[in-house]
Amino acid sequence: MPLELHEETANLVGVVTVDEVEQLTGWLRTARRPKVSLRRCNHLHTGALQALLLFKPKISSAPNDAFLATQVLPLLTGSSGPANKQGSDPP
Amino acid sequence: MNPLLAQFLAEANDLLAQVDEGLLQLERVPGDPELVNEVFRAAHTFKGSSGLFDFPELTRLTHAAEDLLDQVRSGRLALDSGMTDDLLAAFDLIRGWLAHVTTHERLPASAGTDAAGLITRLRAPLGGEAVTAVATTATSTATIDVAPEWLAWLDAEWLTETAGWLATTSSTMRFVRYFPDSDCFFRAEDPLHLVRQVPALERLGVVQPRVWPGPDDYDEYVCLLSFILATRASLGELEYLFRYVPDQVQIVELDSDAITRHLSGEPPLQVEAAVTAAVMPMIDSDLAADARALLHAAQSSLAVDDVVAGDTRLRSVVHAVASAARALGVPVNLTGADRATLLAEIDRLLGAAAPAPAGVAEDLSTAVAAPVPAAAVADAPGRADDPGGQVGTRVLKVDQEKVDRLMELVGELNVAKNGLTFLADAAEEEFGSRVLSRRIKDQYAGMHRIAEELQAAVMDVRMLPLSVAFGRFPRLVRDLSRRLGKTIELVTEGEDTMADKDVIEALGDPLVHLVRNSLDHGIEPSDERIAAGKPPAARLTLAAVADGDAVIVEVSDDGRGVDPERVKRKAYEKGLISEEELETLSESDAVNLVFRAGFSTADQVSDLSGRGVGMDAVRASVEKLGGSVTMRSKLGQGTFTRLRLPLSMAVTQVMVVSVAGQRFGIPVDLVVETVRVPAGEMGRVLHQDVVMMRGEVVPVIDLARALDMPWAPTPGEDRRILVVSVNSQRIGLLVEQFHREVDVILKPMEGLLAYADEFSGTALLGDGLVLLVLNMKEVLGLAARVA
Repeated sequence: MPLELHEETANLVGVVTVDEVEQLTGWLRTARRPKVSLRRCNHLHTGALQALLLFKPKISSAPNDAFLATQVLPLLTGSSGPANKQGSDPP
Repeated sequence: MNPLLAQFLAEANDLLAQVDEGLLQLERVPGDPELVNEVFRAAHTFKGSSGLFDFPELTRLTHAAEDLLDQVRSGRLALDSGMTDDLLAAFDLIRGWLAHVTTHERLPASAGTDAAGLITRLRAPLGGEAVTAVATTATSTATIDVAPEWLAWLDAEWLTETAGWLATTSSTMRFVRYFPDSDCFFRAEDPLHLVRQVPALERLGVVQPRVWPGPDDYDEYVCLLSFILATRASLGELEYLFRYVPDQVQIVELDSDAITRHLSGEPPLQVEAAVTAAVMPMIDSDLAADARALLHAAQSSLAVDDVVAGDTRLRSVVHAVASAARALGVPVNLTGADRATLLAEIDRLLGAAAPAPAGVAEDLSTAVAAPVPAAAVADAPGRADDPGGQVGTRVLKVDQEKVDRLMELVGELNVAKNGLTFLADAAEEEFGSRVLSRRIKDQYAGMHRIAEELQAAVMDVRMLPLSVAFGRFPRLVRDLSRRLGKTIELVTEGEDTMADKDVIEALGDPLVHLVRNSLDHGIEPSDERIAAGKPPAARLTLAAVADGDAVIVEVSDDGRGVDPERVKRKAYEKGLISEEELETLSESDAVNLVFRAGFSTADQVSDLSGRGVGMDAVRASVEKLGGSVTMRSKLGQGTFTRLRLPLSMAVTQVMVVSVAGQRFGIPVDLVVETVRVPAGEMGRVLHQDVVMMRGEVVPVIDLARALDMPWAPTPGEDRRILVVSVNSQRIGLLVEQFHREVDVILKPMEGLLAYADEFSGTALLGDGLVLLVLNMKEVLGLAARVA
């Protein structure tokens, strides 16, 4: 199972596909102080990334996967550069 | 091929023909509202059906055409010949695409670019406001020449560093903007997955929506993100990677100058000056290579030959250049161009297109040094609208009358065949040749088998189960319900009811409209349903049942129902009913106002429905078949639409019984059981014969008396009673004898017998006898009158 959901913590394991997006979003909606571990996550579907960006759960551990660690994690932990600021749509 | 797609292609062919014919007639009779309506309806249906498949360009193009037609229909715009040309061109393009789809099951790679120009032209008379972002990208690629503004999403510090490095090494870098369609998740696309496959990814910017929807409104299946990325991967690699989403990406190649200019906010250089800022439109690179080859070929062919204007040779070169230009995304108008302008145009196109890989151009120009045969030039590979293609599988369309005639002939063959048995008897008895008799009988057996098979084959040609008409709905309902965010359970009943092919085919469009209407307007979102005390999952039922000489198809939902007051008010506002009618119309009549032309309660025109064309189209097509459509609705409880379609040539299973030596058929659907009752057990209650069956009193009607035939049951013999259920009442029919059940082809009563309501039709039995099939409701009425 790519998703291990507990009351306030979730482990994303392996490849999170579009099929898991709904479940993950549902969990993020209900969990009060969600914490997500990406350590064993190899890939996130865009929908899952989008949900994480919207609900901004605390990322409890960084992914081992290089792409996720370098390109995606900064977006989620808020230590993003100006490139990832929220703001106006590009022209 | 997916059966849905096959069906779509077959239907598309008809729709295209309909649109073409309608448009051509419109040119002759401009402003005929019925014609405009017809074309519009066809375009509307086309758009609707195309939404089922992953052909975004097709949906977009038909949507543009539909919008234009809608304006024409409403009288806000007069159709001129330019618009007709554009519309015809749009549908020609679609025809070409569908030919491609038939063989490859996908649109040609150039579809986006081909469509973009047309969409812009179609939208132009409407003020051009609705040109999609994609269209802009596709048409303007040829002129984007400098750092695009979206570069600002990447952080400036990094850009400065990169610009420095690029300047030192005098190299370039590719920047990609990837703007996934919001519904891309449904097409199993994962944009992030695509992005992570980009080789040598330097920088990734994720553009988040300016305002996120609230957690409750958030739809996890709508893609809200877009991506900006910088990479050292080559253009070819990027083109390959994004080959399935060419309309969603923009790729630019920038050098340090362009980036510096962007950073300092200086106005960009002109296209000629920006030497290294080459911008490639995202077109299939094979296609582009072909197009370039074609241009080179045309160039050399012009250089070698002295062609004159008007020459067929020149015309085919013009044709080839135009298609190459289209493939490169820079459509040009070359009608009537002479040799010099053509050469100039080719030069310009070769300059405008990104330089071909040197080797390719070299090879080709040597290869085509000799004049290329004109035909080869004209047959540009990759041209989307190749006229040679075939849309849909080859389906033979045969006039219904011809099949009817065939059926009649089969019937006569059966009769003639049965004559052989008499001949066999005669051979033995009159001519005393038993051998000959046996040989005739053998011959008969062979012919009998063939005749049976022939009959089955002809029936098979015409008969289809309703599951064919219902087959597309599970998918349609699933897709639409997800798009609308509603939970819907589709229930189908009576799919194995057989109906004439015509009926099934003609049912397709009305059913799609009805189902779409139910989904869009009738069924509420889950939260609204819960608030109304209903189960969150809505139920949509499609049911079919044979009813004597008709097929009844019912579409029902348990949605919010139709508000008769609102319908009346809307109809009044649209001028469909008078003020008097507004006051006096009963609720059930008011509900049926939705079938009037031009009626729509939806204030929003959506992708699904709501142009007021749906119900009108349903009524029109059902009435064309000679059927009727009625709607019943309870506000807050649901809507129930019933289509009643005649059964001109449907197979009916009948039970054959005889009275006074004459045989009659009774539809098996109505038959409950056959019983033999000892004469002594027949009772009589108030002049009515009755029989007690399992504690229930069943009235018995003497069929012979009702039909005024001379017959009386032999006293003391068991009575044969056929119990039927009519209007959910059990009634016994006293008959002389039961025979078998047969499948017959019911023909309506005609000519002198047309008045005879007690018969729903006649059928020819295999042995040459004509069977009268009873219309039980009328027979019961007749019996009541006789008694």
